Amino acid sequence: MRSYWLKRVLGALIVLLVVLFLNFFLFRLMPGDVVSTIIDPRFSPEAKAELRKQFGLDSPLYEQFFRYAKAMVTFDFGLSFLSQRPVWEELRSRLPNTVFLLGSAFLLSAILGTWLGIHAARRRGSFLEKIVLLAGSVSFSFPSFFVQLVLLLAFGWALPLFPLRGSVSIPPPEGFAAAFFDYLWHMTLPVFSLVLLGFGSWAIYVRNLMVRTLGSDYILLARAKGLPERRVLWGHAFRTTLPPIVTIFLLALPGVISGAVITERVFSLHGVGTFLLEAILGHDYPAAGAAFFLLALVSIFCNLAADVIYGLVDPRIRVGRSMEE
Amino acid sequence: MTLLRRWSIWALLAVTLLGTLGPGVFTGDPEAQVAAPFSRPAWTPGGGSPPLTAFLTTEKPAALVSWRWEPPPNVTISGFLRYAGQLERAEILWSTPGGKTFVLASSKDTDTLRVDIDGRDMSFKRSLGLSPFDDAAKALFPEKGTYTIAARPTDGIKEARVTLDIPGKKWGLLGTDQRGRDVFHLFLLGIRVSLLVGITATLLAAVIGLGVGLSAGYAGGLFDALVMRVVDILLSIPTLPILMVLAGLWGKGLWQLVFILGIFSWMGTARTVRALTLSLRETCYVENLRSLGAPTFYILRRHLLPEAFPLLMANVALGVPAAILAEAGLSFLGLSDPRIISWGRMLQEAHGFGAFSTGAWWLILPPGIGIALICLIFLDIGRTLEEMSDPRLKKEMAR
Amino acid sequence: MRKKLVFFLLLLAAFFATPAFCSPAGFDVESIRGPRIKELYMVIHRDPDSQILALERGKLDVLGDITRPVDVKRLAGNDEIDLSVAQGFHIFFMGFNLRKEPWNSLALRKAVAHAIPRQQIVRDLFSGYSTPISAFLPPASPYFEPDVPSYPYDPDLARSILEEAGWKWDSTGRLVPPGSDRPLVSFRILGPTAQAAPTTMEIARRIADALGKIGLSVELEPLDFSVMIRRLDVHDFDLFVMAWSLSRDPDNLFAFFHSSMDVEGGYNIQGLHDPEVDEVTERLRWAPDKKTAEEAAAKAQRLLSEKLPWIPIYSRYMITAVRKDWKGLVSSEVTTTDNLWTLLSMEPVSGKMRPVFWALSDEPRSLNPLSSSSAYDWQVLGLIYDGLIAVDPYTLEDVPWLATDWKIETVESQGGPKTRLVFTLRKNVKWHDGRPFTAEDVRSTLLFLKENNIPRYYDSVRDIESVERPDDFTVMVTMGKTSYWYLHNIGGTPILPAHILELAEDWKSWQPMRTPHPERQGLTMLVGTGPFVFSEYRPGEYVKLTRNEGFWKLPEDLR
Repeated sequence: MRSYWLKRVLGALIVLLVVLFLNFFLFRLMPGDVVSTIIDPRFSPEAKAELRKQFGLDSPLYEQFFRYAKAMVTFDFGLSFLSQRPVWEELRSRLPNTVFLLGSAFLLSAILGTWLGIHAARRRGSFLEKIVLLAGSVSFSFPSFFVQLVLLLAFGWALPLFPLRGSVSIPPPEGFAAAFFDYLWHMTLPVFSLVLLGFGSWAIYVRNLMVRTLGSDYILLARAKGLPERRVLWGHAFRTTLPPIVTIFLLALPGVISGAVITERVFSLHGVGTFLLEAILGHDYPAAGAAFFLLALVSIFCNLAADVIYGLVDPRIRVGRSMEE
Repeated sequence: MTLLRRWSIWALLAVTLLGTLGPGVFTGDPEAQVAAPFSRPAWTPGGGSPPLTAFLTTEKPAALVSWRWEPPPNVTISGFLRYAGQLERAEILWSTPGGKTFVLASSKDTDTLRVDIDGRDMSFKRSLGLSPFDDAAKALFPEKGTYTIAARPTDGIKEARVTLDIPGKKWGLLGTDQRGRDVFHLFLLGIRVSLLVGITATLLAAVIGLGVGLSAGYAGGLFDALVMRVVDILLSIPTLPILMVLAGLWGKGLWQLVFILGIFSWMGTARTVRALTLSLRETCYVENLRSLGAPTFYILRRHLLPEAFPLLMANVALGVPAAILAEAGLSFLGLSDPRIISWGRMLQEAHGFGAFSTGAWWLILPPGIGIALICLIFLDIGRTLEEMSDPRLKKEMAR
Repeated sequence: MRKKLVFFLLLLAAFFATPAFCSPAGFDVESIRGPRIKELYMVIHRDPDSQILALERGKLDVLGDITRPVDVKRLAGNDEIDLSVAQGFHIFFMGFNLRKEPWNSLALRKAVAHAIPRQQIVRDLFSGYSTPISAFLPPASPYFEPDVPSYPYDPDLARSILEEAGWKWDSTGRLVPPGSDRPLVSFRILGPTAQAAPTTMEIARRIADALGKIGLSVELEPLDFSVMIRRLDVHDFDLFVMAWSLSRDPDNLFAFFHSSMDVEGGYNIQGLHDPEVDEVTERLRWAPDKKTAEEAAAKAQRLLSEKLPWIPIYSRYMITAVRKDWKGLVSSEVTTTDNLWTLLSMEPVSGKMRPVFWALSDEPRSLNPLSSSSAYDWQVLGLIYDGLIAVDPYTLEDVPWLATDWKIETVESQGGPKTRLVFTLRKNVKWHDGRPFTAEDVRSTLLFLKENNIPRYYDSVRDIESVERPDDFTVMVTMGKTSYWYLHNIGGTPILPAHILELAEDWKSWQPMRTPHPERQGLTMLVGTGPFVFSEYRPGEYVKLTRNEGFWKLPEDLR
């Protein structure tokens, strides 16, 4: 039993190590560096050389790698090339928006999707099920920026209920409550758009799981025993489907960052997505390295957590999986 | 066959035909300008002037233009007037029904007056006494009635060849974009790219996924563990940023994009196929075959592959939307190949050049809905295939 | 997005300086007093759609650098908005790799120049809000020379030029160089993707089409911006399209065309080696006075137009929109409304004071005057820090600023002639923290920048030999060589307070906006002499500045 967990953690560490290497070399494989994006006739090659020295880009690759590895291990990511500010500070200023945006959107769509999925599965062939199936496909099929731009124009411009940009009114309102509601008001449209784009896949996924569960023998048995429908649904069926739902939740979590890149762009939000985009395009090694490393950490953690939860609720899996490994 | 009863397969057929044969209807270059920028679709209601051309010729150095619409989107005048001898002054004049006269072009002390005027030229606006932000076409067409364009003097013209060109305000089935290109033509060309990117990238992913999944599941042991770690690694890197890095590294071409999308989307298939292989490997049937000494390759090909195939096809169909949407996303960020007309690029340009804020829906809706439609088609095909494939799998797929 | 990755050093061009040909009769920019506004929010607004909508909605007052023709058209029809247009310092061109066949052939380059429909490109892509050019300096430049050979669009002429030079065409219409019987292979033209520059690849495609008509087969190679620059740096290309944003001084011509600049990463990307051009650009670069500079600049432009190391294509007009709620706007043919002078003199039409919302099209990032070279940082920092000399918005001439007067002399010494700049400083100027501004501040700033080899200022200060201060309000800067441009290099350098520089331990990691001022509550280390005081930066949202109540240009009635 313990060796199973040991193996999982060891595996995660290996994955992390490989990501660490990839992270370093992938970015440096791209031709050019941050200094080569400076094109200004008043910035002579000598001045560029000075700048390379400042960024430590003039030292041999292995030295750069050791510096990088040290930075990653100690979590002291240094200064961003582009902004000359500590990477941590940059991330700190951007995390609240991204976490709020993705967190609330992800949670809301998961809850809404699960709820809809369960009810669709219960009433098979009903209108609700058809709606869920359709909404699931449709919301998955539109490009996210298309939906978001249309929403922004509809509710930010044509029917000006929501702001056009950012996360705060300018000048910002006084007082905590006012500031809080101002923030909510700014985040409504972005969060809503992500929920709209996301709940469908959840609903379909949960519906499929539920349909199978509700058709299984023990649910039939429970019903035959005359248990109230609510108990059957929530007490038995939902409990059985919970582990796969939680697992998929954890596994899908790291992927939502890709959605942040575009959402933050459309709604002009100061977040990690735009940071990632700029860091990659600007060859900002410390910033991109840190962002990728943290993402990998989150993703590996989620993977591990999914395993743990799956194992906790369903010991069979643990044994089965450890046999496979 | 259930599949043939689904709407989606027929829709796919129709879309494919439209994408392959449709562009053939057009003879011209899709990048060519056919009408004024942002022309509305021809079938939309509301006033819009038709395209109009008038000529000054040697025989007839004046032309009448009868106008009964709103001012046109633009005016161009090009050509030359050649006189028998040198003139102190030669001009092309424009008179409005209200009796106002504009000098469109003039030259001094030559025998030839060359014109190359576009209503958008700053110098032309200035010569009409307009500010840089005024609309020259509006100034030239202040009212409805009959306008005259004429050469002055009319005597002594040896050769005259001047064309007055007024582009239409409406065009074709889906209007024009910011460059005056035919949106319908671009839209049809976009089908090909979307299908090509979607299907080839996913097929590539399926082949890799199948190979990896089958071999890992069948071989098991250390190899299996190793392969599944690689899958974990690839799954733990967010896709969009990686696509950006690799697109920077390998270039911007369509095939590079297909390749990148392919090698980053096989992991799901590999997991599914592996799970299936694992469960099949333990069945008595395969056990028996193995104990009878059947070669590995034979077992894989004759028994596992056919079992995995419908599932694989379902995976392909379900993967196509993801690839199409990824292409659109990259295009939206302006990172795709500008040489290729794809729906993603159409949307990116529509956004970048202000179609959203001007409300030019004919630029936005066709590619947006087109992408969604193709995705829906493949989702439906995928779901149908999935239901047809082995239901035993569903449980494994949950993980 | 367009310029996101490009670091411009154009602090002066953006704010203090931009230019004009003649001021309205009797108007003296020096008489402008201000600022009259109390609060300035520089709102970070990246998306062009949201910029325009916010402007219409009254959430923005000033929006500069409007590039999309649809927006211009739309705003032109809006009665609440005032548009201004100015010739910019922008030059878009196509470059050749002159190190390679066949681009070293002048006849071919001339034919190419005649084959490109510049006027049509400007019409179709910019709706006329740009100007086709054949010059090597931007039309707004005070050194612009109009009398140069030009290459109007004429494909027939292009073909006959080639024919005369012995070029032929094979049966399929492909161009065959003289003395060869094999047609030219296909070439590639490098350009950035839409992410970095939305129209560039489209222009490249039009150029490729046009060149196809004279038998040159050209394909497009779109690249990420940094990748493209890298390819140019190592000279791995045939053709490329690119744009420069230049300043009022013409000495860039040296950087672009002198043979010594043909090194890896140098700006003589095309690899021009021409003794005549070398001679004249050297003369321009090291001109001891303005007259020599003018002559050399004119000759250099004529020479370059003959030799065609690039093909200039167009120069973009700068367009700015301001809401009509404001009066006292300053603009000219060479300066759009979004300049420092406008900020000084603008006031609400209604008389009721309110904050100004000024669009900043990208994140200012660091707000460190020592390390930052981003144009957006400097849009903010330029209001906090002053230089010794400002630029007249109408004539682009020098205007007294922190220095009331200056002399530029050539002194003889053992090492040969040297330029010496003597600045007389303005009295009664105070730093935001109340300390007086003196010659020591100027000296400390220049020496600090030089001693630390700070990349952003490297080229401006590297030739400084000594900085002396005979008294509290005189600074004497002696340079190692002679050049008229030293005046602008030094005069344009933002001056930092000596007492704050002492506290900046490591200039690279210095975070002036995050460090509280040691004495004055509410201030940060961002202490300058400029018209505005830094108040707050909310990343991703805005930078808030307030009026410097001790500003030396503040009118009497506001003191």
